[in-house]
Amino acid sequence: MNVVRVLLFALLTGALPTLAAELPGDSIYQLPIKLTDEKGKNFQFAERRGKPQLISMFYTSCPYVCPLIIDTLKKTQRALAPAKVAVLLVSFDPERDTPQRLQQVFVERKLDAASWTLARTDANDVRQLAAVLDVQYRALANGDINHSAALVLLDGDGRIVARTDKIGEVDADFVAAVRSTLHTE
Amino acid sequence: MRALVISVALALSSAAVHAAEYVNIDGGTFASVLPADAVAANVTVAPFRLRTEPVTNAEFLDFVITHPQWRRDRVARVFAEARYLAQWQDATALAAETAPTQPVVQVSWFAARAYCASEGARLPTWNEWEFAAAADATRADARGDPAWRESILSWYAKPSSAAAANIGGAANVYGVRDLHGLAWEWVEDFNALLVAADSRDQNDPDRLKFCGAGALNLRDLDNYAVLMRVAMLSSLKAADTTSNLGFRCAK
Amino acid sequence: MNTMLRACAVASLLFSTVALGAADADRSSSSSYVRGDFGPPRGEPIHAVLADPPMVAAPTGRNYPAKVIVELEVIEKEMPISEGVTYTFWTFGGTVPGKFIRVRQGDTVEFHLKNNPNNKMPHNIDLHGVTGPGGGAASSFTAPGHESQFTFKALNQGIYVYHCATAPVGMHVANGMYGLILIEPPEGLEPVDHEYYVMQGDFYTTGKYREKGMQPFDMEKAIDEKPTYVLFNGAEGALTGDKALLAKTNETVRLFVGNGGPNLVSSFHVIGEIFDRVQQEGGTRVQENVQTTLIPSGGAAIVEFHTEVPGSYVLVDHSIFRAFNKGALAILKVDGPQDKSIYSGKEVDSVYLGDRSEPNLAAVSKATKAASAGNLTKDDQIKAGQQLFTGTCSVCHQATGQGLPGVFPPLAKSDLIAADPKRPISILLKGLTGKVTVNGKEYNSVMPPMNQLNDDEIANIITYVLNSWDNPGGRISAAEVAKARAEQAAPAKAPEH
Repeated sequence: MNVVRVLLFALLTGALPTLAAELPGDSIYQLPIKLTDEKGKNFQFAERRGKPQLISMFYTSCPYVCPLIIDTLKKTQRALAPAKVAVLLVSFDPERDTPQRLQQVFVERKLDAASWTLARTDANDVRQLAAVLDVQYRALANGDINHSAALVLLDGDGRIVARTDKIGEVDADFVAAVRSTLHTE
Repeated sequence: MRALVISVALALSSAAVHAAEYVNIDGGTFASVLPADAVAANVTVAPFRLRTEPVTNAEFLDFVITHPQWRRDRVARVFAEARYLAQWQDATALAAETAPTQPVVQVSWFAARAYCASEGARLPTWNEWEFAAAADATRADARGDPAWRESILSWYAKPSSAAAANIGGAANVYGVRDLHGLAWEWVEDFNALLVAADSRDQNDPDRLKFCGAGALNLRDLDNYAVLMRVAMLSSLKAADTTSNLGFRCAK
Repeated sequence: MNTMLRACAVASLLFSTVALGAADADRSSSSSYVRGDFGPPRGEPIHAVLADPPMVAAPTGRNYPAKVIVELEVIEKEMPISEGVTYTFWTFGGTVPGKFIRVRQGDTVEFHLKNNPNNKMPHNIDLHGVTGPGGGAASSFTAPGHESQFTFKALNQGIYVYHCATAPVGMHVANGMYGLILIEPPEGLEPVDHEYYVMQGDFYTTGKYREKGMQPFDMEKAIDEKPTYVLFNGAEGALTGDKALLAKTNETVRLFVGNGGPNLVSSFHVIGEIFDRVQQEGGTRVQENVQTTLIPSGGAAIVEFHTEVPGSYVLVDHSIFRAFNKGALAILKVDGPQDKSIYSGKEVDSVYLGDRSEPNLAAVSKATKAASAGNLTKDDQIKAGQQLFTGTCSVCHQATGQGLPGVFPPLAKSDLIAADPKRPISILLKGLTGKVTVNGKEYNSVMPPMNQLNDDEIANIITYVLNSWDNPGGRISAAEVAKARAEQAAPAKAPEH
């Protein structure tokens, strides 16, 4: 079942055996969300468990802020170097953001396959994920999506450790939080 | 009258909870306080079915017994904060002050969604809720009537210390009861209301904050009764509960 | 914070720097006004002790910037607004106005806003002393059963209003969500004998003023700016009777006076006192010798005065119908010994003759003397009556007795008098209202009873009239008038035609 998969994952990545333990009550991996990444591969949200990562939400037709979100995430990664942190970006717009479209953006923005994942899930799960990340969004009649922007830091077990809504430049406090979380895990 | 109330209470608490009642609402186009294009366009609500009453303590009790992962002593903290169902006596029993026929409160958005799913339903969207709630006993849209607004505002003015009422208020023109005057209610897209935390910068084009259109323009700014409901929902997070917040389902 | 908001905060900081720079150039006339950033906080964090109105939080007594932790809880509760009338107030800390907060310029304030779990509404706070988005409102939007925290540096000294800014803002403010925060100047305020906290607000209920029972808020009246109550400290009688503010003679009193609004501006005055010093609008410049000071809605002032004589000094909004018909009234009771050299109290109560203080009232005095001696003649009466007539009756009936056509009937050759020469007695005693026909013309006016005239005066006036302008003649005695007065009932009505 899930536990076997997780243990296998742990074996492959050499992560520590904390994964055998039950998910903490405040872990957002408690949400039973199924995602598909830019390569078309399906995965459970809880499979991301194991190491700290940055998570945020966007959509590819977004004219203004979403490109900035990607830029900010890249800058944040650079500020952390040589330490590395994984990034998961989930789309608000599953209808238009198919895996092919996500792959297109992946290439256009020259994202690093070793740490980046762009993903989509169904509308019901988008609402749940946004709710748990405290992100607001609303679809407008013309297809635009109004949304708030936040970068959220998860620890290896999926607990929210830090967040920032500073977009366009690096948030020094947030970077410090990421660094310290990476260090302790 | 009292005999009727007692027999209803007995019926509710003894037998298995009877199937909840839903009515058809045809929907239509109307002027929402949150315009469809974030400026002024009307919103179209597709036909839907709405529960005539909010979910009660008795119904929710039944739900946590059959779905024990939603018991207050077992629920994951990410789905419901510490005060979830704190008003009950314990995880599977109501208290003396929590009558079976009162709307259940201190429930989170996740818990409300799970309940509705168990009934083969979902939470209503803000627009659906707003559409149904615009009605009074005789009109589909009573929002322009100062008396309607005043009666809603007077519920806001009543302190919570007054004892909570039971369901069973007057039906509106669709046959739906207790949308006003009893408890705030969750909606599916509570985090779509995009109201700035400081309500005074409504027209501030803070594009970085809300990606383009700025914080939502609220229309109909003198409809305070509805504005306050929007303010209330925007202040909440998905795992939050309050002693005045319940829900009902839609299909 | 994102870039846009940060830009705004930086801009406002720069703006205040520029403004302060200008003030610095004017050092000679300003007091000790300096830029408010004195560096990082020093020492252990301090938990602020807030005060319930009308008391003021104690002076900080510090000369260095500190970190101050302020905790304030919003409580929605039903309380009396007037005798037998209750209202659901939304309060900061359980009182209207909310608790008094006191910090020092340069302090770093860590603000905790709690929303009591039993409340229905979300709330936030905007402190006018905060430099930052919404005055803190953007960062303190709190659902019931939750707590928000934000931190600000108190850059400007002064007395500032704080209030809730959740939509609809007017309703939250109208329900009592306001208070004052004092940001002390770095050297502190001069010590005084008493500091008190008073805040005016306007309230809007669906029922009338003093209509009993639980009264809901009336949004229409609030929008129309037609308050039902205008009150100091949230209730009629909040600061009167045994809750009056207290002081002794020869003491200095400082009042921090705020105006929460939501709508009205206050014309603040203390009856019987003059403000020796006023920091108008709470600013740094001091005005002296002020009777009444304007406090804007959403503003505050600091007034100081020295008490000299004992008594009850009434604090009012001098838009006076608010004080006497809507409740904008508070008392400062000053006890102590009298000082007649400053205020003597009533010294003399003597007769003032009013319109009879003309030099030629000799005839009146003569008649009075003759009447008491028992030898009053008709001629005496006529002469006295003429002088009295001039002072009292000629205003309407004219010196010639002609009256005013269409308004006041004539006395000259009056057929009404001819028909019954005694009738004037009852007219002077009871007045005459309604339709009356004199000399063929109709009049419909109001003549009030001549309550200020005694029996002798009435007798003398009528005697003069009877003997003037072709009237029948004769005389009326004071005794006749006295008898008629004893028999008097309701005012005379003109007989139906």
